[in-house]
Amino acid sequence: MSDQSKQNMSQLMDGELSRDCSRFLLKRMQHDGHFRQSWHHYHLLRSAVQQDHEAPLMYNLGSRVVQKLQVESATVQPANKPSRSWLKALTGSAIAASVALVAVISFNQNAFQTGYSDVNVPEYAKTPHQLINPPNAMTARVEQKPRYTRYPDLTPQVQHYIMDKNTQTVMPIYYRVSSNRLPVQQSIQNQSNLYTDE
Amino acid sequence: MKQDDNTKMSEKTLDAELVEQAKKGQMAAFEMLVNRYQQRVANVIAKLVKDRSEIEDVAQEVFIKVFRALPRFRGDSSFYTWVYRIAINTAKNHLVAKSRRIQNTQVDYEEAEAFSSNEAHRNLDTPDAVYARGELEQVMSKAISQLPEDLKTAIILREVDGLSYEEIAEEMACPIGTVRSRIFRARDAIDQALRPLLDREQTKQEHVRSI
Repeated sequence: MSDQSKQNMSQLMDGELSRDCSRFLLKRMQHDGHFRQSWHHYHLLRSAVQQDHEAPLMYNLGSRVVQKLQVESATVQPANKPSRSWLKALTGSAIAASVALVAVISFNQNAFQTGYSDVNVPEYAKTPHQLINPPNAMTARVEQKPRYTRYPDLTPQVQHYIMDKNTQTVMPIYYRVSSNRLPVQQSIQNQSNLYTDE
Repeated sequence: MKQDDNTKMSEKTLDAELVEQAKKGQMAAFEMLVNRYQQRVANVIAKLVKDRSEIEDVAQEVFIKVFRALPRFRGDSSFYTWVYRIAINTAKNHLVAKSRRIQNTQVDYEEAEAFSSNEAHRNLDTPDAVYARGELEQVMSKAISQLPEDLKTAIILREVDGLSYEEIAEEMACPIGTVRSRIFRARDAIDQALRPLLDREQTKQEHVRSI
């Protein structure tokens, strides 16, 4: 290291070096241990003349601090290692996806096997648009049969009268379609019969 | 060649540059930053913490906190003003924690009295470290006393009184280039005097690590 470089360093620490030279020197010092050692010695002289009587002389505290930070980060890193956390996240996602897939498959199997498990759950139209169109592609509109059993205590004549005079709009009910359509309608029919029998 | 003040990198800007590099994970930059303020921080801590053996530990803790808080440093105040506040808080917290520890520990009063009155017992460093520090201070003190008067005056005006090169030039009635050269020669003389001792210490430490 030339005397000129050292003098530049001396000026740098006093804020007396040009910006360009300072930036160049700072970059060089990042990679040159010899330069940094001189920097530490120059600052040791500063420490010695600035030292208060009660305080010990500080020498290269920076090295010890950096060492401690590196030890700390080395002990903490295994838990936070990016590659591991990425792997962990991937494993978690894979497990979640598997569980979701199993749930979907078993749900579909149940639906097709029993035919009654979910299809008996009606889906009511919630918007004016749904009054005309089914809520989704898998549903179909099923006309409600007159429910005489809504007034079981009344005589059949009175019940008929009420039904005929009732102008209130009946909300359509949608049930799942495809293979389950017949069982659904059958199920509704059965339920109606059951009520009328009572 | 006279350098225009506008083109100089002031000490504040130098700190800001080092802070930016440290934020990016350049530990060498942070090391340089710590060494710039190590003594001033130790002096501040020494005003509150009277045990010399604890001052270095507290100073170390201060700079670890500084490093962790670096992302929050926006440069509104000077770097040293910010570090100073952290140093004061850390020293106060250290004293509070220490008094709690003392309250929670059953202390043999006679032993405690002997401990507090005995400087050698209170210094918990290893004998090697104590010797090295003592030797370092001796070498340093000798090297400063051996500096020629003009170099010594220039470095004292700069480091103790904090004068700029221009102000020192006025004070010493010499060109600014001479000031620049005198300050550098003073520092270089200390560097040369310290190298054998510090190289020996480094070799010793590397030997201990390799065992």
